Amino acid sequence: MLLTGERSLDSAPFDEISFDLCSHRRDVIIMSADLSKYTQIVRVKEELPDQHLDVGMAEQNLISVAAGISKAGFVPVATTFACYATRRAYDQMIICMGTSPRTNIVIGFMPGIANPARIHHQAAEDLGMVRAIPNATVIDPMDVTDFKQALDAAVDIPGLTYIRGHRGATPRILDPDRFHFELGKTYQLRQGSGVGIITTGLASQWGLESSDLLEQRGTSHSLLHVPTIKPVNEDEIAEFCFAHEQIVTIENHQIVTGLGSLVSEIVSSIGGGPRITRLGLPNSWAPGGTLGYIRGQLGLDADSLAKTIEGVLQ
Amino acid sequence: MSKNRENRVQFLELIAAKIRRNVLDICMQRGGYAGQGVALAEIAACLYFDELRPDENQWFYDRFVMSNGHDAIMSYGALAVHGSYSIEELRTYNADGTKIDQSPIEGQLGFEITAGSLGQGPSQAAGIAYGERLKASDKRIYCLFSDGEIQEGNVWEAAMFAGHQKLSNLVYIIDNNNLGATGSTQEILGVEPVPEKFEAFGFAARRINGNSVEEVLEAFEEAKQTSNKPYAMVCDTRLFEGISCLQSALPTAHYVAVDDADWQAGLDEINQRISDLTAQACN
Repeated sequence: MLLTGERSLDSAPFDEISFDLCSHRRDVIIMSADLSKYTQIVRVKEELPDQHLDVGMAEQNLISVAAGISKAGFVPVATTFACYATRRAYDQMIICMGTSPRTNIVIGFMPGIANPARIHHQAAEDLGMVRAIPNATVIDPMDVTDFKQALDAAVDIPGLTYIRGHRGATPRILDPDRFHFELGKTYQLRQGSGVGIITTGLASQWGLESSDLLEQRGTSHSLLHVPTIKPVNEDEIAEFCFAHEQIVTIENHQIVTGLGSLVSEIVSSIGGGPRITRLGLPNSWAPGGTLGYIRGQLGLDADSLAKTIEGVLQ
Repeated sequence: MSKNRENRVQFLELIAAKIRRNVLDICMQRGGYAGQGVALAEIAACLYFDELRPDENQWFYDRFVMSNGHDAIMSYGALAVHGSYSIEELRTYNADGTKIDQSPIEGQLGFEITAGSLGQGPSQAAGIAYGERLKASDKRIYCLFSDGEIQEGNVWEAAMFAGHQKLSNLVYIIDNNNLGATGSTQEILGVEPVPEKFEAFGFAARRINGNSVEEVLEAFEEAKQTSNKPYAMVCDTRLFEGISCLQSALPTAHYVAVDDADWQAGLDEINQRISDLTAQACN
């Protein structure tokens, strides 16, 4: 069982994660583009100032200066909101980091509808964008536990690693004593038959919520958390898919180019297999507002998800 | 000028002439950015053969970042004189399947970054300079980019960062040839006054004749004497400077593919220059 018995909330996850990392890896530089406060980088800035660098509101510079810092032997962790990291600085991410063998980490906070400001702050295509970069690593952690473990692993991964970050009250769902992040590995959180639910990142929390409802209603299902979007263990995903009659993917991302596409690509390359229903952001702009409101509008709240999942079995 | 200084200038002028010859030799195979390579010969000679300090492996202790991609031809011409590339392998420049990229990828010998997406070298050089300073290293970082390139916003983000951080180990070398991809920089989107713009971003800056060995050496010296600020040397150049027959034939050729007779005329002119400079050095 990978889940904690009692879920706790961490109010500022990255503050502790970044400080712990910098305390034992003195070659790590946590970088920001004037968003340290909003990505909750406090202790590193105050207590390890040599390991903190703010480049101001200039995300192209954030990524390219970070790449330069890696060429001086450091491990940069460039942090900003997901929309700026990918949309604003995509070329820099590809050219300066994607073609480099040196370790370069980018963390995109508040991805997709985790951001209340509609359209301009809601990067719902970032996974697909970075996934398209050859040899890049892409990770979408679901909670404090795998966010921390993924970043700890990333500092030793050559090349570009993009991680979706959590800020604000973030639950600890995975038990840090039993969950061990391995790049590419998938994690089965619920085991059953019938419908197989595959989720990543924040949507793994949504998947668990709907799974709780399905359990209450006696609907058999499985739930697979896929934190690594690239490179993923394709055999594990294929095995999971072919063991179920129906597959539903849920992601805090457009339903194209992200997790749903990844799963579809894997299954279609084999041939046959279950029908795949992809849930996430459709081909339209998401509304702004609170996360609960947006989820409700998009049919991504727990109850709507449970109904959709039950519906695919009809 | 002292005798030592005079000898040093003569030596670098001869190196520059050899770089020009190598650039023509390479580009006459299948075309290339010959005009830029020729025009940058004095800067390359001074940089690679005087300014960058050698390390114990016959390589360079200081670090050079070429940003815009097509100026790789300058580096190839110089590194052939240096002996780290053979002219035979460089003649595969622009051939299918060659390892001699027109616009090199990070890791190729002599190239610190993946060049060619304009405006990204100045930031990466600033990052390297910041990192080297953090390590308490005394390495100096040089970055070459062009006046057309400074139309990119990323350059000014980099300049703002370098000035704010007072990266005195960083030197920007701007090839100010008044030429973009399709015409005059000044006509398309004016960039002048370039030195004053960098000064406003916290640099010490100087406009020089980029084809004068003496002026390039003086600027490098001034950069080393500058504390608490990065340095921008704005090098006015003209395409094909130093080979008059090609300069008059191709005054604005961003990318060059010409007939054999023109190449040969250029080669003849530069070979005569090498002979003259060699004879001068022997006297």
